[in-house]
Amino acid sequence: MTGLRRLGATAANAAGLLLAVVVLNFLLIQAAPGDPAQVIAGEMGGASPEIMAEIRTRYGLDRSLPEQLATYVGKVARGDLGYSFFFNEPVSRLILGRLPATALLVLSSLGLAVMAGAGLGILGARRPNGLVSHAVSLVAIAGNAAPVFWTGLMLLVVFASLWPVLPVAGMEDVATPRHGLAYGLDVARHLVLPALTLGIVYVAQYSRLMRASMIDALNADYVRTARAKGLPERIVVGKHALRNALIPLVTMVGLQFGQLFAGAILVETVFAWPGLGRLTFDSILRRDYPTLLGILFCSALLVIAANLVTDLLYRLIDPRIRAGRPA
Amino acid sequence: MSALVAAEAAVQPQPVRSEAAPSMPRPAANPGLAALRLFLRNPSGLLGSVILIGLLFAALAGPHLYGVDPFEIVGAPFQPPGGDPVLGTDYLGQDILAALLQGGRATLLVGFSAALITVVIGVTFGALAGFFGGRVDAALMKVTEFFQVLPTLLFAMVLVTLFGQRIAITTIAIGIVSWPPTARLTRAEFLRLRGLDFVKAARAAGAGPLYLIGRVILPNAAPPIVVSATLAIGTAVLFEGALSFLGLGDPNVMSWGLMIGQNRAYALEAWWTVLLPGAAIFLAVLGVSLVGDAVNDAVNPRLRKRS
Repeated sequence: MTGLRRLGATAANAAGLLLAVVVLNFLLIQAAPGDPAQVIAGEMGGASPEIMAEIRTRYGLDRSLPEQLATYVGKVARGDLGYSFFFNEPVSRLILGRLPATALLVLSSLGLAVMAGAGLGILGARRPNGLVSHAVSLVAIAGNAAPVFWTGLMLLVVFASLWPVLPVAGMEDVATPRHGLAYGLDVARHLVLPALTLGIVYVAQYSRLMRASMIDALNADYVRTARAKGLPERIVVGKHALRNALIPLVTMVGLQFGQLFAGAILVETVFAWPGLGRLTFDSILRRDYPTLLGILFCSALLVIAANLVTDLLYRLIDPRIRAGRPA
Repeated sequence: MSALVAAEAAVQPQPVRSEAAPSMPRPAANPGLAALRLFLRNPSGLLGSVILIGLLFAALAGPHLYGVDPFEIVGAPFQPPGGDPVLGTDYLGQDILAALLQGGRATLLVGFSAALITVVIGVTFGALAGFFGGRVDAALMKVTEFFQVLPTLLFAMVLVTLFGQRIAITTIAIGIVSWPPTARLTRAEFLRLRGLDFVKAARAAGAGPLYLIGRVILPNAAPPIVVSATLAIGTAVLFEGALSFLGLGDPNVMSWGLMIGQNRAYALEAWWTVLLPGAAIFLAVLGVSLVGDAVNDAVNPRLRKRS
């Protein structure tokens, strides 16, 4: 298959998945106990009878199911994710407003997790039966078992009362001006604990994965060849083995992007980080279904985008995939 | 009928993972027993088993032995551990030890039941896809891919929010969002096994698709599925905790997650009300992961060499 045709197929697949998510949202509204108009208005949205009547006409709730579905899909295609009667704002604008804070948190944690995880994994793989290797495995298992909201709460307790050197809530101090270097530093200080909390789980998972795939790579014939021809160890490990060992890690990162986002919901709730996770928590609390379903749709969109990026990254790391040959 | 008997005969002499047998120095007479021996020799597997058995015992027998109702108000709120009651009280003045013992039942029950749902859905999808291949495979894998696009925890939150905060719904929601990895794993095993000689022999003897899937291939595909089921228990326990933490737990059923969710607003004044149930979740997931890893090492001889 040529590159362009492959790209087209991938894009068509992504569009199909996205449409399926919209249909799922529609079915969830229909299947939820109670009147769909009530679901759209949100239980505690304080919708008046006039608003309810308006929702019925806007979403065509008096027509047949297929017609309703078509109306719903058409709305989403135009970027209309509904209206939050609790926040008194269109859902799409609410989500776009909260997205930057979440993106900052998720990408910082991901960066931390990939770098620390890969580093620890390589360290552990150098001597598979050494002390360092066992320590890395132990940290990996423990870090993976700790619930992320619990780690966050414990860090919060420590840094709020025992060792108050870092802010434990929000994203900025009220007193700091909202521009320039001072503002950047202020946000960075607020970011440390949330990013650390979210990152720890993935440091654990990635170090474990990296250790295993690095051990495999270091046992491979091409590494023996590289050593036999006298290449320095730094090049053997850092270039020959690392490039191959990174492929499973990239796969994992791509596959887990959605989970990382879900983890952000918990972490943002703990640290009052003003992002999408906090919005999710509020919309659950208020039974604000349009917002909640809008977030589900947007996160699926992000995951699909992340999968596309992963696909592109593969090609950069592994020329064999680029050429269309099996890896 | 005779065809089935013949198929059974064709299946019987096949040891689990027959293709690995020639490379091993002495093929064990009973691969299950050999795996059990390997499992018991693994210190982390033993540690995990001890943790899990301890937690199960505490959850099953604990409430009877301790005999305090976890919802009963036994004293002033926020009493620190070390006095009476021994682990202190929570924000309402409920006994924390009683809540931990009783809460373990719900949390572990959700963990096991949700893992069971995960395995049933995942194995059904994976087995059908891997066995039939072609269009069936393409269609089922499309559904799997769709479920993998939805962030698991968020999807579970939406389901519980829409359909009600009851422990049964929590369990079903966790099962519904968690099955895709098991489906992919099962499919891969079925794809690998379906072309092997013992399956061909059973097919030639006249075995039907259901018999081939359930009695011929599935037993041989079981080891990695068992490992993934074990790990699914840990994930489900974490999910129950996360949902309850967000206020989506069943308020009428005491669980470890509910304890954290209800006390978290007071974490700064009374850290023990959050530390203890979180530590219980941590131990449960740790125990499950250690056991899962040890089972994996025991049934997968290829991994033994490198770790």
